[in-house]
Amino acid sequence: MVASLRPVALAKSRLVPVAEPWSSLVPGGGLRRGSTVTVHARPGLGGLSVALSLLGEASAQGHWVAVVGVDDPGVVAMSDLGVDLRRVLFVPRPRGAWAEAAADLLDGVDLVVVRPPSRCSHGAARKLMDRVRERGTELIALTEPNAPWPLPADLSLHLTASRWVMSSRLDARYVTLRVGGRGEAARRGEHVVMVPDVRGRAVAR
Amino acid sequence: MERLLALWVGPLCEERPDGSTLRDHLRLLDALTALCPFVEPVRLGLCVLPLRGPSRFFGGDDAVYAAVRGIVRDVLGLELSLGVAEGLFCAELAARQGVVVPAGETTAFRRRQPLAALGHKELATTGRRLGLYSVGDFADLDAARVAERFSAAVRVLHRVARGELAELPGQRDTRLAARLRSARGEDVVGDEQTGFFGQRSAGDERAQAAAHRVRHRLGPEGVLVARLHGGRVPEDRATLSPWGSPSREVRDDAPWPGRLAGPSPITSLHQPVAVELRDEHDEPVRMGARGSLSAAPTSLVLLRGSRRAVTWFAGPWPLVERWWTAPRRRAHLQVLLDGGEAMLLCAEAGRWWLVGVYD
Repeated sequence: MVASLRPVALAKSRLVPVAEPWSSLVPGGGLRRGSTVTVHARPGLGGLSVALSLLGEASAQGHWVAVVGVDDPGVVAMSDLGVDLRRVLFVPRPRGAWAEAAADLLDGVDLVVVRPPSRCSHGAARKLMDRVRERGTELIALTEPNAPWPLPADLSLHLTASRWVMSSRLDARYVTLRVGGRGEAARRGEHVVMVPDVRGRAVAR
Repeated sequence: MERLLALWVGPLCEERPDGSTLRDHLRLLDALTALCPFVEPVRLGLCVLPLRGPSRFFGGDDAVYAAVRGIVRDVLGLELSLGVAEGLFCAELAARQGVVVPAGETTAFRRRQPLAALGHKELATTGRRLGLYSVGDFADLDAARVAERFSAAVRVLHRVARGELAELPGQRDTRLAARLRSARGEDVVGDEQTGFFGQRSAGDERAQAAAHRVRHRLGPEGVLVARLHGGRVPEDRATLSPWGSPSREVRDDAPWPGRLAGPSPITSLHQPVAVELRDEHDEPVRMGARGSLSAAPTSLVLLRGSRRAVTWFAGPWPLVERWWTAPRRRAHLQVLLDGGEAMLLCAEAGRWWLVGVYD
């Protein structure tokens, strides 16, 4: 019994956990350690919510996470997305040293969200992705159309559209995203998720 | 002068050593805030609220009294003594006596109170010798004679007796708001970040080491940690403080009536940006005194000069905080721009501020 469970446990530990709706959209139901994810979106479309919601389950399960280059994080919204704020390190204004700060953090935490303040060079991206692979951690790069991530990522979430649902206030937002990436990206193609829903969570439509 | 509804809850006047008195006050104030946002704790056991607004809303004074009695019974299981009069001095007396002083009759009510109601022993004794028995007798005394015979403190009481001042000096406990705040669960703790249950795992140690490196690289403000606490709007509820600095550990288990509903912005500007809202005639949209907009906004002008069309808006939601912060009047508004971006704006101090973005 123990023997038969073991390989599963090993395979699991190679994944950084993500919750629904992401777990059904990514291969293996989690983020493979050592891989890089890009979240690509026009500003205001919901990219930041998507990127930060990927931290929720991991932080809740005891993993440390970090957020680099996000100037004014809405921590109430992050908490609503399921992020355990007790294990989040914020580096809001890394100035010119965002890549170095991200590299430092990749040595110590399991997930790093980075929003490069300017176009990321090929060399900097390569270095970070190598570091991630070497450390078995996870990098989530949030990028915009005028400054895309210069290298192909293991998994990419490309936000193509979003639509708010309103009543007497903003209630929820449907976000359309294209899932792609290298290798066995399980559910390629276009998906719609709700982020945030009326309680601030990310949920499957 | 404004008619005040005063609530006198005898059992709450004496502070119990276990802190439960303050907690009871918080529960009561939170419940009453749902009835009227202007409720104010005056001293332990005494709080007041203006009668006019809730009375209009509930359809009459009697309905408000019933609602208040119901709240005190439900929340504390206690009966209270309730009174109405103009000004805090008379409102407290009315509450202690359980009288509703009809509109316009506060002066007569004040004048027939015994001189001791002014709470000054020396005045009461000396007054008796002079044949002054009631507040009215004292009020009729010429101000110049009062100045000759009595101390500065009594001269102030004379003005209260004449109705020139609405409240006694020291009638309010000025430290009460701060004490209620701390009873809500803000305790100063020294810290480095700790893991669950205050123990540090290997993962915690690694994360701390990484944070050290980044702080070394970027300076003491380089790495921040977040905490949540009570508040009605997202920008009030979060604190980002330097990692490793002593910080306020705050619990957030109290209900906050009137909290801004729905999702919170994922970007919450720690320094709000001044913006302008314009209507269809390109006139600035302003907040009126009664909590409504001067016109529907059709465009948003960022001070960098870029201008965006507003396709939809919701609010404003006025927010008046009286007792746990310095008085602030704010109103929040959600706007949707032509590109689909959603933003949270706040009107304060006569202008609009961008406080959040729902990216």
